[in-house]
Amino acid sequence: MNLTAVYMKNPEYIQRDVAGECILVPIRRNLTESNSIYVLNETGAALWQRIDGTRSLRTITDEFAQEYDVTTEQLYHDFQTLLVDLLSIHAIDEVTLADGPTG
Amino acid sequence: MVRLAKLRFLPDRFPLSCQWEITCRCNLHCVMCYTDCCNRPDLIRQELNSGEIIRILDEMADAGTLELCLTGGEPLSRPDFFSIYEYAVQRGFLVTVFTNATLITDVEADRFAALPPHGIEISLHGSTSDTFERITQHHGSYHRCLRAIRLLLDRHLPVVLKATALSLNQHEILSIKQYADSLDSVPFKLGQELRPELDGGAGPFQYALSEEELSELNRKDPRLSEEACQRSRAELPLCRSGMQRFHIDAYGRLQLCSGNRRQGYDLRNGSFREGFFETLPTFACEHKNPEHSALLQLMTHHE
Repeated sequence: MNLTAVYMKNPEYIQRDVAGECILVPIRRNLTESNSIYVLNETGAALWQRIDGTRSLRTITDEFAQEYDVTTEQLYHDFQTLLVDLLSIHAIDEVTLADGPTG
Repeated sequence: MVRLAKLRFLPDRFPLSCQWEITCRCNLHCVMCYTDCCNRPDLIRQELNSGEIIRILDEMADAGTLELCLTGGEPLSRPDFFSIYEYAVQRGFLVTVFTNATLITDVEADRFAALPPHGIEISLHGSTSDTFERITQHHGSYHRCLRAIRLLLDRHLPVVLKATALSLNQHEILSIKQYADSLDSVPFKLGQELRPELDGGAGPFQYALSEEELSELNRKDPRLSEEACQRSRAELPLCRSGMQRFHIDAYGRLQLCSGNRRQGYDLRNGSFREGFFETLPTFACEHKNPEHSALLQLMTHHE
């Protein structure tokens, strides 16, 4: 996992809070995914909230570690899985920074 | 992250799913339609305007509503239909549209393709123009409907075809289903129940099939037969309208369901949260009490 990477949300995914669950709804869905919604767990929802196209993964992880009682290693592991999932459905993209990453 | 077709954990009472009759206006006048009695200029003028609909959509989104069915009348007969539809999709609702499709040309199909619906259910009441137009009472509607189906399928949109079994089209139901089956991944739904008109008129029932005719129709097709068999075997659950689903009529009245409009909460003058959480539970529904849930009534009542 590249900790200096910066990710941005795909605006074609709308976040909805439904009965306490964080849901991602793709608004330009294709036929095969027309019946699907994506539900984020608590960590996933918190990560999604922090992805803003400017903060690096390291910055986000450090913020998490200060806020929650969880080891950095555990966070890295959880984030790795979530990032792969979010990238696979194109809910996020890695930002290419002209002057290099900030984190 | 989990990919799901529906949510796993919901409170027993939660405003998940809305059926919204956004207009009673329609370019067709189907003989069995229960809303066509309200397809009059004086009543259409009383329907919610765009701003009111958007405001209510926002309140529903904030309350957690996820599934939204836009129906009518013919929803696309509203000049502002796509403003409402596109707003709802971009707000993150899973939007299904019930339509007769006859107002869909390349332009409308392209707009749907740009922001695809969760589903688009099209009424196809006949497999010939003669039968179809005897029901819709509108010359040319059959070919416009077929053309629209093709335009939507060409754009890989999630089309469902459906028909209501009537005395006028019972001889063509199987060929309508065969047409749906001949298209790639297009489900077919057959409605077998009619409702009184919103003004209480019984006009639609003159086209109803008898139980014997419905049984005979269902016997002719393995899937229809299986579905009829399941319906007859199933232990019908208590009506859950108003629990996780609700209905809004064209004038902004929040109701338990489309089939029970005796009481309504005026969303023009109140908030969605108050209407759903405080007022809707007080509305009467005899089908929520097992002692009064006559089988036929319950089947008709459920959406």
